[in-house]
Amino acid sequence: MTDHQRMRENAGAYLLGALADPEHEAFERHLADCPECRATVERLRPAAEALPRAVEPLAPPPGLKSSLLEAVREEAGAATRPAPARRRSRWRRSLRLTPASALASAAFLVALGVAAGFGVATLSGDDEPRTLAATVESREIPHASGSLSIPADGKEGGILRVSGLPSPPRGVYQAWVQRGGEVLPQPTFEVGGNGVGAVALPEDLSDATAVMVTREPRGGSRAPSEAPVLSVRL
Amino acid sequence: MALVQEGSTRAFELIYDRHGGAAFSLAYRMLPNRGTAEDVTQEAFLSIWRSRQRYEPTRGSVRTWVLGIVHNRAIDALRRNVVHDRRRASAEGLEEREEAPERTELEAARLQEARSVRDALEALPAEQSRVLELAYFGGFSHSQIANMLEMPIGTVKGRMRLGLEKLRNGLEGLVSQELA
Repeated sequence: MTDHQRMRENAGAYLLGALADPEHEAFERHLADCPECRATVERLRPAAEALPRAVEPLAPPPGLKSSLLEAVREEAGAATRPAPARRRSRWRRSLRLTPASALASAAFLVALGVAAGFGVATLSGDDEPRTLAATVESREIPHASGSLSIPADGKEGGILRVSGLPSPPRGVYQAWVQRGGEVLPQPTFEVGGNGVGAVALPEDLSDATAVMVTREPRGGSRAPSEAPVLSVRL
Repeated sequence: MALVQEGSTRAFELIYDRHGGAAFSLAYRMLPNRGTAEDVTQEAFLSIWRSRQRYEPTRGSVRTWVLGIVHNRAIDALRRNVVHDRRRASAEGLEEREEAPERTELEAARLQEARSVRDALEALPAEQSRVLELAYFGGFSHSQIANMLEMPIGTVKGRMRLGLEKLRNGLEGLVSQELA
C-alpha cells in the first residue's frame, strides 16, 4: 500500500476527530500536497458537519449565558459593564402548557390562591434591597423556612434561600415566578444535608405576584407538577 | 459576525442566543453530565470570543464553526478525563434532559433538520453508523473503536469513510441548505 493509499483511508477518521494527534498532523501535511485527498475531505466534510445537527435540541441552562457574558465583558474590558443578561423572554416563550401540565398548573394556582397567612415581612423601602419571608405550604415540612432577597426594584431578579427542606428522594426543587395568570419556570436547585439551599431567579420580579418552590424531576419542568412547598407573595 | 470581530459584546450575545442551545445540546450529547457540558459550552464560547478574528465566512456558516469548536472542546474534555466508560445512552443523563421547546420557526426548522439527519444516520448500515457515533459523539479514536469492536483499525477507518459517503448521499439537499 502506498503512502497515499494509507493516508486516503484516514479521511473519514480525520473529519470525525478520531485520529490521534500525530496522525492528525501527518494527515494535514499530506493534505497540503495531495489534491485527491483534499477533494475527498471536502466531499465528505458536509456529512461530518451535519452530525451535530442530529442532536435533539435542549434548552441551555439559564445561568450559562449570564456567566459567559460576564466573563466576555471582563475580557472586553468594558469600562461600564451593562446589566447582567436575563433569560426572561426566552424562558417566557418556553412555557407552553400541554393539557396535562395546564391542569397541574391550574391546581397549583388554586393551591397558591387559597394558601392563607403569607407572613410577608417587608424589611426596607421600595428602592432598597428587600427581604421577604416565605410561607411554608406543605404540612410535610413544618420546620422549613425561606426568604427572598430582591435587590433594588427587582428588575434583575432575586435570590431565594431556603432551609429545613428535605432532599426530594428523586428529583430537585424548582423555583417559579407567578405574574398574573402566568407561571414562569426558574432554575432548579438542590439542598445540602442540612436542608439549606439557594437559587438565583433571573426573572424580572418588579411586577411578579409570587415566587414559589415545587418538587420536580431532575432537569426541571416547564410547568409545575404539584402544589408548591414554599411560596413568597410579592 | 462582523460586529463580533470588531469586539461588540452585544453582537456576541446574539451569537450565543442563536447558537448556544445547539452548542449545549451537542456538549451534553457527548459528555457524561450536565455540569461538564455547561463547562465545555462556556469554554467553547470563550474560545470563540478570543479567536473571533479567525472566523472566515468562506469556510462555512457561523453555526458550523461554533459546533466545530464545541466538538473539539468536548473531545478534549473526554480525553482529559480518561473516564471513557460513560455510555451516553445511560439512564443517568436521560431523565435530566429537558427538550428545548419549539420557540420560533427557526427552532421548528431545526427540530425538523435534526430528525432528517437522524433518519439519514439510521438508514446507514448498522456497522457504519456505529463507528460514526462512537467517533463523533463518543470522542473515541479509531484505535479505541477497533479495540472495542474487536476489528482491525483499517476496517474501522474504512467504515468511517464509507459511512460519511453514504450519509452525504442520504443528506443530499439538506447539506446544501444549511440553516444559518
